[in-house]
Amino acid sequence: MILGIETSCDETAAAVVTEDGRILSSVVSSQAALHARFGGVVPEVASRRHLELVSPVVRAALDDAGQSLDAVERVAVTQGPGLVGALLVGISAAKGLAWARRLPLVPVDHLEGHVASLYLEPGALEPPFTCLLASGGHTILLAVREKGRSERLGTTLDDAAGEAFDKGARLLGLGYPGGAAIDRIAREGDPAAFDFPVARVPGLDLSFSGLKTALLYAVRDLEPVELEARRADLAASYQRAIVRALVGRLRAAAEATGLERIAVVGGVAANSELRAALPDAAFAPLQLCTDNAAMIASCARFVEALPYPRYLGLDAYASLS
Amino acid sequence: MLVLAFDTATDVTTSALVRDGDVLGERVGEARTLLEDLDELLAGATAGASDLDALVVGTGPGSFTSTRIGLAVARGLGLALSVPAAGVSTLDALAAAHPGAYAVLDARRREVFVAGPRAVSPDELELEPGTLCIGNGAVRYRATLERLGAEVPPDDDERHLPHARLHAALARELGPVEGIEPIYARLPDAELSRT
Ligand SMILES: [Zn+2]
Repeated sequence: MILGIETSCDETAAAVVTEDGRILSSVVSSQAALHARFGGVVPEVASRRHLELVSPVVRAALDDAGQSLDAVERVAVTQGPGLVGALLVGISAAKGLAWARRLPLVPVDHLEGHVASLYLEPGALEPPFTCLLASGGHTILLAVREKGRSERLGTTLDDAAGEAFDKGARLLGLGYPGGAAIDRIAREGDPAAFDFPVARVPGLDLSFSGLKTALLYAVRDLEPVELEARRADLAASYQRAIVRALVGRLRAAAEATGLERIAVVGGVAANSELRAALPDAAFAPLQLCTDNAAMIASCARFVEALPYPRYLGLDAYASLS
Repeated sequence: MLVLAFDTATDVTTSALVRDGDVLGERVGEARTLLEDLDELLAGATAGASDLDALVVGTGPGSFTSTRIGLAVARGLGLALSVPAAGVSTLDALAAAHPGAYAVLDARRREVFVAGPRAVSPDELELEPGTLCIGNGAVRYRATLERLGAEVPPDDDERHLPHARLHAALARELGPVEGIEPIYARLPDAELSRT
């Protein structure tokens, strides 16, 4: 039995997962409402909240699983990338917990964690496959040949896809977080109404900053009344452009690697248009798209556990290695 | 009663293992390697974590991130061991090093944390002549404090560190670890810029 803890951004999460990949519990306490008034995640605000929530969330995960700590054989925790102050809350709590019980600790890379959301039951996926990880913090294409380790093929040169959704939603006055808001209103709009450019960058990288600027100009050109009337069209066209970019790059990546099977993970994997545009792809289950600890515990099954006392000095890392 | 105490709020992390008032061991280190210190303390006393009867943790004020490290470690220990705990202000522990001492912690941004707790510019402190000022803020702003009539011990004086044995001595009411809140004494910048 593995206890997972995740505090890399604005979700405080804990989960209990079995060695064969069954989720016994997965508790996620989202701080989205807390950060909404700032229009994005504020690191210090997030870290303060993680400290308030970490114990109750771990307790809730154990309760939901019907387990006591005595049944936990390993503690898994997100080591990075993410907000260092936020990561350190989870890492410190996990180290204290593991040390006091002489349990092994498994430091998990957050991005590998997202990929490992595909290895949970029911319907666990087996490598090899080409994977798109698209979230508020990351947009990365990966070649996955074995569990727990993937090879980076390309990434966004500026904004992450989720960030592009957030910024677009702000320009359209749709609030935060933006992905779900745009997805919802886009259903009433015409995706061909506006011709937004999909940036062309070399290789398997992506760029969303030009798209955001195009939306800004389109919004600026409209009178307030007109903007109101065309908001759904703008959202639908903007979403279409993001989805096209992601789908195009994922297909190209699959071709480049020869790993034909494709998968999508991360918060943007919940987007309904992206799901519709990739009928042949494996998607992370909806409840495992946004940050959670079940994926961290899942990943811990495939990466090296640090036995006591090797993890006592474990530190967080902020950015991609 | 075996008590484990630690404080990560300042640039120097302190820890101590205390049995019925007797200090069994002390460590000085860094917040991110606090567990290494705690491990050595227990090993030195041939005790295990399960032998602990209580935790005492420094609650700041200090660096936001490092204060949280101590409190998060305490929460992890609390989950694992179900032992009661107490929080002690880093300023109170520091001041306990010497009768009548005034604790002055470096708060960065040209400010210090003092009793209140509050963050103020060191020039604005009103001190009785001859007040003994201790802490890393007193060391950093020695010239200012001495001009204000205070006395500041030499930089390497032990009393400038918030020794965790002092936290253990000051701890009174024990309760759940989760009830112990950090003392930030400042809002996050994002909140400040909104007002
Ligand atoms: Zn994520």
